Amino acid sequence: MKEIMAVIRMRRTSATKKALVAAGVAGFTAVKVSGRGRLVTDPTQIEECKEKLLSMGVNDFGGVEDTEKLVTSFLDGSRFFPRRLFTILAHDEDVPRIVEAITRANKTEYGIGDGVVFVLPVLDAVRVRTGESGEAAIW
Amino acid sequence: MLLIRAIVRPEKKDDVLEELSSAGFNAATMVDVVGRGKQKGIKIGGMVYDEIPKILILVAIQDADKDKVIKTILKTAKTGNEGTFGDGKIFVSPIEEVYTISKGIQEL
Repeated sequence: MKEIMAVIRMRRTSATKKALVAAGVAGFTAVKVSGRGRLVTDPTQIEECKEKLLSMGVNDFGGVEDTEKLVTSFLDGSRFFPRRLFTILAHDEDVPRIVEAITRANKTEYGIGDGVVFVLPVLDAVRVRTGESGEAAIW
Repeated sequence: MLLIRAIVRPEKKDDVLEELSSAGFNAATMVDVVGRGKQKGIKIGGMVYDEIPKILILVAIQDADKDKVIKTILKTAKTGNEGTFGDGKIFVSPIEEVYTISKGIQEL
């Protein structure tokens, strides 16, 4: 028995739900969370995107310096962004299939910020309605 | 690999996250939660508040970094020198596999 925790983009929620149904797993729990990933240590990586955002205009109140600080904080990974945390209970043999489905539904062309999938062991589960426990309690 | 779940006071959230980031653990997920502890909530006047707002911080780390991360959280999440009731808890659970979606690889 495994618990799959996936932190994904808000906009990919429905795509993920569809992918899960296609993979044969309908049950899940979702929570709104905020998250961030690794810090960008190489400033040249965000240079291009930063130029693009700065060329859109300067914040009237803070001036150039403030705008640049704001834009940098958006790009270098120090800011938290809204994400959706999916929690799915699964049988051991279904885990690769589910992880594959989530990964395929969430991959974007940006190459960053698509989230992570964790697979954790679960000792026991109990279905409230029937009281059955163990593997039988999953779907 | 380990998943650290730390429940901290909302006002300590920024300190904890900043300190974690400067210790080299920038990646984190946070959830707004409510909960109570051993003290069964707070009693103010005749009213018992047992859904006290807290922040749940999730951090995935390598096994070797466990002590460092826990020490960082303990140091920053504590109120005063001795600590106070309601400062929170840290749970550590094992992670079997990690997949980074954007890179399509099986690692943190």
